[in-house]
Amino acid sequence: MDYYFFVMTVICIWIMVSLATNMVIGYAGLFSMGHVTYMAVGAYTSAVLNILYGVNYMVTIPIAILATAVFAFLTYLPLMRLAAFPFGLATLGMNVVIVDLIHIAAPRVPGSEGLFGMKTPEFMASGPWRFVFVAVLTVLCVALVRHVLNSPFGRTLRAIRDKPEAAEAAGKDPRWYRTVIWTLSGAVAGLAGALYATTLFYIDPTVFVVAFSFNVLVYIGVGGLASILGSVLGPLLLITFSESLRFAGLPSDISGPVQQIVYGALLIVLMMFRRRGLVGNYEFKD
Amino acid sequence: MGASVMIWFQVLASGLSLSGYYALLSLGFALIFSTFNIFHIAHAAVFGAAGYIFFGLTRSLAWNPWAAGTVAVLGAAVFGWFIDLLLYRPILRRGGGMFSVFIASLGLTLIFEAVVLALTGGSLSVAREGALQLVEFGSVAIRLYDIAIVLIVGVLYGLAYLWVMRTRTGMAIRALSNNEGLARVVGVNTMRTRHSVFLVASALAGVAGVFTAFDSGITPTAGTQVLFIIFVAVLVGGSVNIFLGALVGSLLMGIVTAVAGFINPQWVSVCVFGILILLLIFRPRGLLA
Repeated sequence: MDYYFFVMTVICIWIMVSLATNMVIGYAGLFSMGHVTYMAVGAYTSAVLNILYGVNYMVTIPIAILATAVFAFLTYLPLMRLAAFPFGLATLGMNVVIVDLIHIAAPRVPGSEGLFGMKTPEFMASGPWRFVFVAVLTVLCVALVRHVLNSPFGRTLRAIRDKPEAAEAAGKDPRWYRTVIWTLSGAVAGLAGALYATTLFYIDPTVFVVAFSFNVLVYIGVGGLASILGSVLGPLLLITFSESLRFAGLPSDISGPVQQIVYGALLIVLMMFRRRGLVGNYEFKD
Repeated sequence: MGASVMIWFQVLASGLSLSGYYALLSLGFALIFSTFNIFHIAHAAVFGAAGYIFFGLTRSLAWNPWAAGTVAVLGAAVFGWFIDLLLYRPILRRGGGMFSVFIASLGLTLIFEAVVLALTGGSLSVAREGALQLVEFGSVAIRLYDIAIVLIVGVLYGLAYLWVMRTRTGMAIRALSNNEGLARVVGVNTMRTRHSVFLVASALAGVAGVFTAFDSGITPTAGTQVLFIIFVAVLVGGSVNIFLGALVGSLLMGIVTAVAGFINPQWVSVCVFGILILLLIFRPRGLLA
């Protein structure tokens, strides 16, 4: 039974990451292929502070959010100079590099490749309560992002995505709006990372490889771009599917490639027949 | 001459042969991007396919390396051509944009990697057996293979240059990359040019794939890793002159990755990304722009 709660917690976390990615891809037209980078920064900030410096877990969450937001802001400064495709590939490169950098330089628990032994408040020790905690934060996150995207700020953002010249002529600076949404998106991914660190019990660089960023692309591609509902539906359906592969009794060296083949095929089928995904409000036209 | 200087000469030689692979790959990638505006991620899969065909033919069926290499390069050319024919064009016909093509290209690459991973178990596949012959210049020993690579790549590069600059198809390529609408109006045969560009670019990637599988070996994700280096090489070169650009970018990336790989392989991706960031800050339009 605990395992179901674990899977549901993981789904909540990937909903947050999908939401963060959809904020920039769907609403701002910034094609990120490496949002798991920010998740890694959030997770490592929280885990390092908690395990190696004994900071209370509840305090590390806001620090992780803030640190990831700052990191996202700083990485966006050079990225913003790139056109759409190079931008995508550069964010992918950023993901590769952060994994290598964590390998090379990140602190670890002696005798292992990563970090474990987070000290969390007592109520988080049980699976169901940890799920409730993560679920509540997910709902808050969704509500907050929804509020931002439905505000005049969100409308301007969509205007910039669709007609940058017109928005600029109306006195809106695209660079400012894009930087703000990218930083916010980083903050959401950072929160997801901090929660992921306690959910998994053990984190190392392999948890944040590029393949997971691709998974997020498939989640929001299937769910739908520029849609909050899409960001929720995508991970919900696809992680349930992947877990059912495990329950069907496939060994992991088969189920891994099978999942990747299905995800790759989904991307192709979507681009051929349904570029909006299930409930999307936007598709890339150029 | 000190021992350390000798070692650096050898690193430089392997860097030059790496530059050769990169040059073949980035030329094809840049040709496809500048002519049709397609960001061809599946170029990585074409490269990998040639490597695995070559590996399978030489190791499992004990073919002669030259015959296996020819078949692998032809296979790569046809594979790349099919990708355009059966994947990119149907999407464009159905009203998709270049972005949809880009995502589908990524999807195909993911499928390719997963299939190869399931078939090989993900281990490194090296086609050659035993060490390679060395030539000595004084106290510096360089592999004959590295010299051969540089020569072969030089010849292929020259042929590709003549193809684009001196033939009718080449003229069509230049016209399309300059102004597609205008090229169509004056009667450039877009479809035929498309066939040629995808076939040639994929064959070049195939040659790089065969060389890589022969010498240092190939893994399911080798293509994607190389593709990122290629992408930085193309950005370094800029789009003013793709032949010179791909060459300069590949030389830089080849030497940088060889030196970084010699010091510590874990730093390769960090160095490549560092170059990308420096480039974006100081020369966003490429070194030659």
